[in-house]
Amino acid sequence: MLAAEKRFVDKLKTYLVFAGPTTLVFITVIILPFLFGIYLTLTSWDGISKAYTFVGLANYAQVIRDSAYWASFLRTVKYVFFTVLIVNSLGFALAYALTGNKVLGQNLLRTGFFVPNLIGGIILGLVWRFIFSNVLVYLGRTFGISFFSYSWLANPNKALWTLIIVSVWQYSGYMMIIFIAGLSNIPHELVEAATIDGANGFQRLRHIVLPLMVPSFAVTVFLTIQRGFMVYDVNLALTDGGPFKTTQLISMHVYEKAFLAQQYGVGQAQAFLLFLLVAAISLLQVYFTKKLEVEM
Amino acid sequence: MRRVKSGVSLLVVVLLLSLFSVVALAEDVHITILNSKGEIQAQLEEMAAYYSSITPGVTVEVIAAPVGQSPFERAMALYASGNAPALTMLDPGDVLLFKDRAAALNNEKWVADVIDGGLDLVTAEDGRILGFPVTVEGYGFIYNKPVVEAALGGTLDPETINTRDALQKLFEAIEASGKGALVISPEDWSLGAHFFSLAYSTQSSDFADIKAFQEAMKRGEANLAANAQVNGLLDTFDLMKKFNLDKADPLASTYDRGSQLIGEGEVGIWFQGNWAWPQVKEFDSAGGQFGFLPVPISNNPDDLGNTQIPVGVTKYFILDGEQNSPAQQQAAKDFLNWLVYDPEGQKRLVVDASIIPAFKNITITPEDPLAASIMEYVQKGRTITFVLNLPADHWAEVGASMQKYLADYADRDTLLAEVEAYWRGL
Repeated sequence: MLAAEKRFVDKLKTYLVFAGPTTLVFITVIILPFLFGIYLTLTSWDGISKAYTFVGLANYAQVIRDSAYWASFLRTVKYVFFTVLIVNSLGFALAYALTGNKVLGQNLLRTGFFVPNLIGGIILGLVWRFIFSNVLVYLGRTFGISFFSYSWLANPNKALWTLIIVSVWQYSGYMMIIFIAGLSNIPHELVEAATIDGANGFQRLRHIVLPLMVPSFAVTVFLTIQRGFMVYDVNLALTDGGPFKTTQLISMHVYEKAFLAQQYGVGQAQAFLLFLLVAAISLLQVYFTKKLEVEM
Repeated sequence: MRRVKSGVSLLVVVLLLSLFSVVALAEDVHITILNSKGEIQAQLEEMAAYYSSITPGVTVEVIAAPVGQSPFERAMALYASGNAPALTMLDPGDVLLFKDRAAALNNEKWVADVIDGGLDLVTAEDGRILGFPVTVEGYGFIYNKPVVEAALGGTLDPETINTRDALQKLFEAIEASGKGALVISPEDWSLGAHFFSLAYSTQSSDFADIKAFQEAMKRGEANLAANAQVNGLLDTFDLMKKFNLDKADPLASTYDRGSQLIGEGEVGIWFQGNWAWPQVKEFDSAGGQFGFLPVPISNNPDDLGNTQIPVGVTKYFILDGEQNSPAQQQAAKDFLNWLVYDPEGQKRLVVDASIIPAFKNITITPEDPLAASIMEYVQKGRTITFVLNLPADHWAEVGASMQKYLADYADRDTLLAEVEAYWRGL
């Protein structure tokens, strides 16, 4: 009994020595603000006054009824769906083309595709804003291409696509790097054996490479989903939610509710609900991709 | 033994030195100012450096609220982190939200010199005055005088543009002269906070009536579709849409493009306020000959708003009474007094920073033509209320609805229904 107790104390000591500082930091900067945030969802705080009026679940009721919140959420789902789909397929295609010395200048191309990821979202948004509203419009008008003659950013049907295009440009190279790492881990003998058995290129890709790449896809899909739901910087710099809020993604909606409409409690409730939804979607995704993984 | 002694004396010297430095620190008062008027950041910094150099023991530092972010949010973050600035520049509607934290300014000398009504929006229910009026601003149609006069073939008398028909004739004349009549900048703040607000301003010359109108909207009792001023304003907007230089792609236009077009004389008229001068100046081809025309809302010259432009105090300083020491608060009060009563302070505020002062005792005027035009309207008494007590997200919500209307994604009924729904939902 005494020995067990002593063992526990020893373990605790070791834990505190190695992980104590980190735990303390984690609790003070993540856990406590999170709990305090949940408390704020139950108040009608405006962000600055000293009075925290307790309103129970009224903020949540207001969020549930807020059609603008759900419209923004659906818009974000649409944005996430297309970015996840395009970023991952393009990233994988690039990685597949740029492994195994198939093309000249392989390393240079890899670097080139990765570079957009090193540029901050705000700069990127401003650069593409200029491209969409000036360069493309100029080209469209000069060469009579009606598709580009009017700014996409000013068109409520096309503006969301500008966000998707820029996100694809930003993240494809990053996901490509993860896929390249995955591809170089696939044992050569498996591919060789399949070739000897007479499998053509497509069959090798479909039956050997893709099943072995599931762990990489688990990572990249998780990353793109999570980043897609949380995107704010590109949204702000590229479209600023416009025209007339047709590209206002969910993070921006939450931000405006809390800081612009000065309804901090409601904004916080929206953020908490968003957290639950994104956590659920991510967990489901991880669960299902795990099921797809194969044993070697 | 000797070594110990010298060690002790060294310690004493160090302690004494540190005492001196504590005294020195206590004497040097450091105050910060949060500026939310991006266009005068450089001038404010120079002002602060100059004031620090002539005032021993006081250092004034200016920090900027990021452009495009609401000053309220920056102030909120600074308060939450315990670093509240001594003076925070806020929009009028946000001042009273800080009533738990701001110091009362009732005993300051300048209170008596503020222009009439300049403190109404910043006086708390308990009578405490919480704001120092920083600047007066106004807006309307900015006109480029050489362009307009070339089109008219004679001088322009701004007082003759007092009906919608007169405005239409002016637009037609400018277009006939080969220039663009006007450009509409589609920013939500411009359309929501300034253009649509004219519908509230023109309801009455008495601010109490405007507030009553707003209350009626909140209760869902105001019928905008039947309101003469609202419809008149939108009729004028339809006219503007028809003559808009960028009407093919109205939402792609920008504020920057507008300032360039009016400055270079590519258009004769631009809807904006006197804050646009620093940008227009960059492109000025008219030798500084710009002025304001009112936005007419009907064809009766006597209707309110047809010969008046909205003018009001658009920025206030609040003095922090919570996180700054009494010495810092006093230093901030002294700085404000210097701005209002010292000739050098007045010059730096009014001439260097192009601010229209909100104080009766300041007689010098800004040198920029837009501010001068506003002052002229004020002196003639041709002003209406610049409605500044709007809810904080009014510009974004109503601005978005106006953008839809501008680009023909919504008709008038939809626009008015959305505005009514916004007010009801408050």
